[in-house]
Amino acid sequence: MALCSLLRDSLRRLLCAAALASLGGVAVAADEPPHVVLDPHYGDSLFHFYQEHYFTAITGLMVSQHFNRVAQHADEAEVLRGGMLLSYGLHREAGDIFARLIDKGTRPSVRDRAWFYLAKIRYQRGLVAEAGDAIGHIGNKLPADLEEERVLLQANILLAQADYAGASKVLAGMTTSTGAGQYARYNLGVALIKSGDPVQGSALLDELGRATAPDEELRSLRDQANVALGFSALQNRQPEDARKYLERVRLNGMHSNKALLGFGWASAELKNDRQALVPWTELARRDASDAAVLEARIAVPYAYAELGAIGQALDRYNDAIVAFEVENKHLDESIVAIRSGKLLAGLIERNPGTEMGWFWSMRGLPEMPHAGHLVPVLAQHEFQEAFKNYRDLQFLSRNLQQWEDSLAVLGDMLANRRMAYAERLPQVRAKAQETDLAGLQQRRDALAGELTQVEEARDGAAFADARQRALLARLDNVRATLNALGADPEFARARERLRLAAGAMTWNLAQQYPLRLWEAKKTLAVTDSQLGEARRRDVAVAQAQRDEPARFAAFAARTAELDKRIRALQPQVAALAREQQADLQELAVAELVRQKERLAAYATQARFAVAQLYDRANSTAEAGHAARQ
Amino acid sequence: MSIRCCGLVMVGAWLAAMPLAWAADAVPSGTPVTVAAASPAAGALPAAAATSSPAGAPSGGLDSRIQDVKGDVIRLNRDLLVLEEELLFPANTQVALFVSMDVGKLFALDSVQVKLDDKVVANYLYTPLEVEALHRGGVQRLYLGNLRAGEHSLVAFFTGKGPHDRDYKRGATLKIDKGTDPKYIELRIKDSTGKLQPEFDVKVWQ
Repeated sequence: MALCSLLRDSLRRLLCAAALASLGGVAVAADEPPHVVLDPHYGDSLFHFYQEHYFTAITGLMVSQHFNRVAQHADEAEVLRGGMLLSYGLHREAGDIFARLIDKGTRPSVRDRAWFYLAKIRYQRGLVAEAGDAIGHIGNKLPADLEEERVLLQANILLAQADYAGASKVLAGMTTSTGAGQYARYNLGVALIKSGDPVQGSALLDELGRATAPDEELRSLRDQANVALGFSALQNRQPEDARKYLERVRLNGMHSNKALLGFGWASAELKNDRQALVPWTELARRDASDAAVLEARIAVPYAYAELGAIGQALDRYNDAIVAFEVENKHLDESIVAIRSGKLLAGLIERNPGTEMGWFWSMRGLPEMPHAGHLVPVLAQHEFQEAFKNYRDLQFLSRNLQQWEDSLAVLGDMLANRRMAYAERLPQVRAKAQETDLAGLQQRRDALAGELTQVEEARDGAAFADARQRALLARLDNVRATLNALGADPEFARARERLRLAAGAMTWNLAQQYPLRLWEAKKTLAVTDSQLGEARRRDVAVAQAQRDEPARFAAFAARTAELDKRIRALQPQVAALAREQQADLQELAVAELVRQKERLAAYATQARFAVAQLYDRANSTAEAGHAARQ
Repeated sequence: MSIRCCGLVMVGAWLAAMPLAWAADAVPSGTPVTVAAASPAAGALPAAAATSSPAGAPSGGLDSRIQDVKGDVIRLNRDLLVLEEELLFPANTQVALFVSMDVGKLFALDSVQVKLDDKVVANYLYTPLEVEALHRGGVQRLYLGNLRAGEHSLVAFFTGKGPHDRDYKRGATLKIDKGTDPKYIELRIKDSTGKLQPEFDVKVWQ
């Protein structure tokens, strides 16, 4: 039973994986080429999603949606978000997302997926007719990896509506090699028997019971179908048939205990108690945590008694009674351990995880006395789901704690920025006042005016450099000196040299004028740009002076509000975790109590049988004594 | 005779208590797994042994309240992440570096090192799961940081195994002109089927 449940969960994980894989496939929808990510942030969500970091993926995706960074994958992102919310059991929100996508008339591939998930949500919520309606809207654009799941969902919906013929028809189209299809067939077989069609139901199960099975999972299902058929035949007083079905079950499979027990009862029913002893003796040696083994421990002496071996029967019954008492004591110890919290602590320790998990499954039994009792407890779907919730709540609690710490750091950072701002503001203001932007602008305007005049006059001398200005000054001095000396012919050569030198200077200045004018204009443009930048900064500083306090205040308010939300959620999560823990413990205890009751029933039957055997022995002895007399 | 009857009663009781069979109905957690009983006869079936049947979570029940809290915490995480990003990586200075892989058959990625303005900002060693996520179309946000407006240089080194299982180290460089909008840069690993060599290029999204 435990292994059965583990296999069941492995299959469910497989199917969930298929469903999730197809969620990821939103990036490669039917009408798009593969691997086309148009917004890198959408790809980032997929990166986490593909690693099964769903919490990181969904929160990251929601942040990207907030900043409008996944606009080109808007619908796919919604399908992804809806699917992940659905995986976390947030049906209402997921349903709203898919309904919205359908209402807005998204493209067929997205719409089909939306209808599929909507059908699934409705089915999970118990709205079978509505689920059937939704599944009927799915067109032919569903990804291939979702198609199998759609068929199974449709079959389940039809089964829930007691439309067994319809379910049979839907499943007929499925390949028989897939595990999911086989399980659905199994369910259908059982449903048919239940609905009063044992012929078809048995035929379906018989087909499964004889099918070739490529892996352990399907071999186990085949065993299960045969066990079901065997017990069904046994209940209908058809022991020959029962043996035929039960013989097909593997001796070391997870259903072998049930098969051995049933086979023994079938033999006993055929008055072949010696043959019944064979499977029961084998079974009685196995682990006592299985109900079939407990039952075998009293079935063996029953067979001995039937064969007339009263002494052996009495010994075996007494052994069984002692074993039941020991087992009962162990169960009491397990119950005490569970109520003290050891079960959940041990399970968390053996099954650590970093994120809220959907695929998560238990990997090991906790370290505690008589952990074997817990196998049937842990195998219960209800327990596994409840423990998953408990584990999720532990994750949420850690997440909130981390954010509480991080938010405190962010708050400190904000306070530091505020302080730094307050300290720097006066210095910045002082510097801004020191920088006489208006004065600088006036000087620039004056220079620009001068440049215009120079340009209009084509005044090359205006651009003379220091050396040239010195030469010009010397030329002026020489000219003044020569003028003072009058027209003396003795200085005619000097006057000529002055004329040549002044002409050369004028020529040089005229040659250099265009370049120097361009450079002057360029320098003026740079000055303009720098002045513009200075003005912008001045405006920005003024703006910051007005806005920053408000920005800091807004951040502080958001931080405070988020801190409030964290603190409001923490006790809720803690209370729910406590409640879930109590529920889990009671679930486990209830299962152990059932085991105790079963044990008590077997012990009573054993004692009753012992009494009967003594009575029979006494009667025989008395009869013998009477005969001798 | 009475013991035999007792034995048969035990079979019946055992049958009634036996969760004989099950079938998965391909639904995620939170959904009851379909439990079906292989029953001898309809009349002898335990009441719980039904075929696939959906069951809605009772409103206001523990499970429902837990789902509500999960939703609240998810939304809270979104708001916290938004606040964190706005505070630490304002849009006007934000720069994000992504790594993606197109096909990637010619290159088995081991690690990436990224330098921004000659300063190492990311050194990442990949796990097989991460490489697989990249192969499937995931895009990793390798680095999120801040840069002043202006020109910057980016150098990325990819290390791994190239064709014929040879050690492979390649670099890609880029000059970035950072404005006042966020800058998203994708480092892409591609297969050049013509050259039968991996290629590394850089795409600037904005």
